[in-house]
Amino acid sequence: MSIEHPPIEPIKTARQLNFLDEKQLDNLQEATLSILENVGVQFPSEKALAVFAEHGADVNQESQIVKIPRELVLKAVSSVPRYPTLGARDPGFDLPMQDGVAYFTNDGCGHNVIDSVTGEIRPSTKADVGMMARINDYLSSMAFSWTMVSAQDCGVTSPLHELVVTWQNNLKHYQSVTLMGESQCRYAVEMATALRGGTEDVRRRPPISLIVCTIAPLVQDKEAIEGALVLAEAGIPTVIMSMPTLGTTAPATYAGALAVGDAEVISATVLLQLASPGAPVFHSILHAWADPRTAAYVGYPLDSRVRYAPVEMAHHWGMPALGGAFGTESPELDSWQSAAEVAMDPLMVALAGAEIVTGIGLRDTYTLLYPEAIILDDDLYHQARYALMDLEVDPETLAVEVIENVGPGGHFLSQKHTRKHMRTAMVRGVTHQLDSMGKYRDPVDYAREKVTWILENHHPEPLPGDVQSEIDRILNAAEKELNA
Amino acid sequence: MSEEIYNKLAQAVIDGEPEDAEELARQALEQGADPLACINQGLMKGIAKVGELFSSGEYFLPELIIGADAMKAALDVLEPALMGDQRRDVVGRVVLGTVEGDLHEIGKTLVGTMLTANGFQVTDIGVDKKPSEFIAAIQEADADIVGASALLTTTMLQQEKLIEALKEAGLRDKVKVMVGGAPVTEGFAKDIGADGYAEDAISAVDMAFRLIDAPA
Repeated sequence: MSIEHPPIEPIKTARQLNFLDEKQLDNLQEATLSILENVGVQFPSEKALAVFAEHGADVNQESQIVKIPRELVLKAVSSVPRYPTLGARDPGFDLPMQDGVAYFTNDGCGHNVIDSVTGEIRPSTKADVGMMARINDYLSSMAFSWTMVSAQDCGVTSPLHELVVTWQNNLKHYQSVTLMGESQCRYAVEMATALRGGTEDVRRRPPISLIVCTIAPLVQDKEAIEGALVLAEAGIPTVIMSMPTLGTTAPATYAGALAVGDAEVISATVLLQLASPGAPVFHSILHAWADPRTAAYVGYPLDSRVRYAPVEMAHHWGMPALGGAFGTESPELDSWQSAAEVAMDPLMVALAGAEIVTGIGLRDTYTLLYPEAIILDDDLYHQARYALMDLEVDPETLAVEVIENVGPGGHFLSQKHTRKHMRTAMVRGVTHQLDSMGKYRDPVDYAREKVTWILENHHPEPLPGDVQSEIDRILNAAEKELNA
Repeated sequence: MSEEIYNKLAQAVIDGEPEDAEELARQALEQGADPLACINQGLMKGIAKVGELFSSGEYFLPELIIGADAMKAALDVLEPALMGDQRRDVVGRVVLGTVEGDLHEIGKTLVGTMLTANGFQVTDIGVDKKPSEFIAAIQEADADIVGASALLTTTMLQQEKLIEALKEAGLRDKVKVMVGGAPVTEGFAKDIGADGYAEDAISAVDMAFRLIDAPA
C-alpha cells in the first residue's frame, strides 16, 4: 500500500534562550493591561460584544470598542491550558505540548505556484493543497500540517475543501489558516466530529485547529473572531496571531510593536475564555518592519533581535506559543537570500521554546510555492535539530578502550567499534549528496527528485469509507448554503 | 569437509572476524586441509566478496579494512604451511609504504586493502620509510609494483627520491612506480617519472591492473 511512514522528529532541547528578563516581561505585560483597560480593542461583532458586556467589560456599542479591566483579563487568561494536545488523524501523530519540544509545520498560506511542468507562475489549486499535504505527511520535520496554499479553484468553500483534501493526503494534525466565519467553522466542527465519531473525542484529541489573525492596530476581524468562538465552544484550538508592523500599524520601536500585538492577542484570548473557559488558545506575534520610504513589508532586516521574544511573552501569560520561522522575502527558490535570511530561524525559535512553529517551504514572503522548496528548508530544520540534540557521553561513546587499542599513531578504521558506529556517525543533508563520481550534487536537483519520489511512493491511508461519505455530505451541504 | 572449512574461512573474511579467521586457519591445518586451497578457495573468495560489497556501496571502509585484517590473520597461519614450491595465485605483487618524514597511514592502507581484495599480494611496509627500506622490501617480495604515499607538499618530494634510488639500485625497469596522496597530482607524477597516479583507492586498483597489463 505504502512505504513505511517516517516518524515525526520534533526539535528537542533542554536549553533555553532568553531575549527578555523578568522585569522587561512584566513591563510588556503591564503595557498590554494598560492598553486593554484604557485604550481598548475594537470587536466588530455583536456576539463578541455581548460576551464582554455579560462579563462586566466596558463595551461601547457604537464604536464597538471594548475596554477590559485588568482583573478580568488576568482571570480569563488564567483558564488557558498551558500544555494542550493537538490531535491527529492517526493517534500516533498526536502532539502533546511540552517544555523543550518544538513541533514544526509548513508555511502558509500561499496563492502562487511555480508549475512543475511549465515552470510558470499560476494560481494555486486544491490539487496543490493535496500534493503538499502528502509531502508534509512524509517529512519527519513536519509535526503537523498547515494550509500551504489556497484552493483557489473551489470558491467560497475553499477552506473546507482544503481541510478535506489535507485529510485525504495526511495523517497529522491540520491547522487551517483560511477558515473564516461562523458557518464555515460550524461545518469544520461537523467534519471533525465525523472523523472522530463524537464531540467528546474532538475535544480530547482535536484533529484540527485554526489560525485567527487580528488587524493591527487593536482591531479584531468579525469573521475570524466569530469563527474562533464556534471552534472554542467545541474545544478546538485556535492560534491568535497578530502581525504588527513597526512604523505603520505599530510604533516604530520593538517594545511598542510587541505591546500592540500582545494587546490584540490577549483581548481575543479573553473573549474565547469568557465564552468557553478552558478552550485551548495559542499566542503568536509575528511582527514585521515597514520600509521607511515605501511602507513595504519587510520580514527580515539585519536587526531582528526580538524576533522570538513573543514566545517568552506568551509563556509569561501562561500560554503556549506559535513561533514564525522561515518565509524568506526572496522570490527565488535557492538564492543566497532565500537561505541566509532564514537559516538561523529554526535554531532560534526552538531555543526560545516555542511549542509550535510555522512555516517551512514558501518563498516571496509566504506567497509563492516551489514544491521542492520544502525539501531545502527541511534541511535547515534538521541542521538545527541536530545542533540542539543531546550528546551521548557514556562508556560506549567515549570508547576509551578502543583508543587504548589503537594507541598513538595508526588509525581507527580497523576497529569493530568503528565498524559499528561509522555508518551513522555522519548524517548527510541535501547539500552533501554525492553523484556517481563522488562530487557534490546540486541540492535543487536532489530536492526535485525527492519530491517526485515522495509523490510516487508515499500514499497515506485513505479516510475510512463511511467517514469519507459523511464528510462529502457535509461538504455538499456547505456548498449549498454558502454559495446560496 | 574441506568445502565446509573453505566456506567458513570465506565467511570469516566477509564478516570481518580476524580472531575467527585465524582460529579456522589453525583448525584447517589440524584437519589436514591443503593450505593453498584454503587460501584460494576460502580467503580469496571471501575478500573478493568484501571488495564487491564495498564497490556496490553496501560495505563501508571499516568492513573493508577489517575484512582484509581477517584475511591477513588467516594468511599468517596458512602461508608458513605452504608445501615445497606451493605459492598462492596472485594477480601481482605490490610493496606499499608512506615516504620518509611522513606519518600518514590511512590512504596507503586503503589502497593496500583494495588491492588485496582484488587478488594482489600486498606488502605494506608502513610509514616514514626511507628509499632503502622500500628497495629491500621490493627485492624480498619480488614486487611488480611499488606504491609510495605522501600527504604533505614537503614530503611528496621524497617520491622523486625513491625513483632515483630505484634507478641507482638497477630496479627501475623491473618495478612500476605508483604515487598518491592529497597534494600529489597526475602532472606531478609525470614530472617525477612515476608510472601511475591514482586519486583514490578504487582507481588505484584500476591503475595497478593497467601497470601490470592484467585484465581488471
